[in-house]
Amino acid sequence: MDITFVKRLITTSIGRKAVMAVSGLLLGGFMLVHLAENLLLFKGEASYNAWVDLLLSNPVTPLLEVGLLGVFIAHIITGAWVRLEDFLNAPRGYEARKWQGGRTIGSATMLYTAAGILAYLAYHLLTFRFVDHSMGFYQMVTSAFRSPVFVTIYIAGSLALALHLSHGMQSAFQTLGVNHPKYTPLIKAGGLLVAVTMTGFALISLYYLAGIDLKAAEAGYQVVVIQ
Amino acid sequence: MNSSKHFSVIVRVWRQAGPVEPGKMVSYKVANVSPDMSFLEMLDILNDSLLKKNEAPVAFESDCREGICGTCGLVVNGDVHGPDEHSTVCQLHMRRFRDGDVITVEPWRVKAFPVLKDLVVDRSALDRMMAAGGFISVNTGAAPEANSIPVEKDKAEEAMDAAACIGCGACVASCPNGAAMLFTGAKISQLALLPQGGPERAARALSMVAAMDKEGFGNCTNEYECEAVCPKQVKVANIARMNREFLLANLFSKR
Repeated sequence: MDITFVKRLITTSIGRKAVMAVSGLLLGGFMLVHLAENLLLFKGEASYNAWVDLLLSNPVTPLLEVGLLGVFIAHIITGAWVRLEDFLNAPRGYEARKWQGGRTIGSATMLYTAAGILAYLAYHLLTFRFVDHSMGFYQMVTSAFRSPVFVTIYIAGSLALALHLSHGMQSAFQTLGVNHPKYTPLIKAGGLLVAVTMTGFALISLYYLAGIDLKAAEAGYQVVVIQ
Repeated sequence: MNSSKHFSVIVRVWRQAGPVEPGKMVSYKVANVSPDMSFLEMLDILNDSLLKKNEAPVAFESDCREGICGTCGLVVNGDVHGPDEHSTVCQLHMRRFRDGDVITVEPWRVKAFPVLKDLVVDRSALDRMMAAGGFISVNTGAAPEANSIPVEKDKAEEAMDAAACIGCGACVASCPNGAAMLFTGAKISQLALLPQGGPERAARALSMVAAMDKEGFGNCTNEYECEAVCPKQVKVANIARMNREFLLANLFSKR
């Protein structure tokens, strides 16, 4: 059995980049679904908890979780590997160096935003995943969102994610060879849109930090989500 | 000779006696510079004066001095190939500078292109990549009848644009990661786009990428600094094509 073609995904520069790109796109897709789930908070405690219960009672969920972990690890390993090689081979020692406008804030900070996202993820898992869930998921999430410290860290995490995706989404398509005068402008705009959408996490947390839901309830208004 | 338009500049240039010697920046005053001179002619004048003083001239490479051969390549004041867009450094003229300007001149500082002497670097890594697959093996014989192999106009244009690469190495020198993927992408593309390159497409993509990896270049992180400095305006779409050629060859060829 010849598995050279699998080995090349690990042993060649473009192979590693392709693994990083595919795993990155999958993670980006996951984040969009995650954001959609967070929007369920607006529908109220019963609806949100019902959705979480549905997820947790589904026997496929643990498998998906392991799969997500695998994708994440693949993204981290290939990303770190690519960056290490880049670090070792980068041109060094220019007295003066001017960038010519190709780099963006997003592209130049990929490593730092990656580290930020990873650090945030650890905090996220420690505060939401590996804790006592007896108070109910809605209560757990909204009470966290009423803590200024938590929300500050949460916003920093979502901004790092937005910056990371501002370069990452369109970059993944280029790495996979998708570059076409018709589609590339759409892909670039779409990538930016996904990146900006990630600030939605921050906005949701600010909604609860400002207590808008409580004020609305006091005033007799109800947030109604159109079915 | 010393017309009122002539001026003088200070050139801060990288001096390095040999591949393993330590190098340093050395400043020289170059007087009597005409605004009509090319940048390389200004260096020629500097070298003349150094020779007259029995000092070693500043080694730098140039050949055609008309922007088509890819031999010259310097970083001038932090700009790869100088401040003019989409041109080689031999096309830079002294009218871009003013009296008393301090001009920093450095070689490509790329790990895969070790400095041989002063501003001269060893770019044979690019040649070795070409030898690994940047060719077609069929005997082409005499020029065939032009219409015997139809080529779509757009494809022919794209292939020609990729073939405009002169292999100067500016893409690598400007890359934050020292990647050679614009060069490799152009070389793979120019043949992948044309029917004559067809029979060896898969083999070429696999072997040229393998050769590229072996030379110790970085990886492309799609920041497109290369496209911004390329004197021949080679597009990063060629990198995407290389990625496509490589990934498809890996998945679907028998290699």
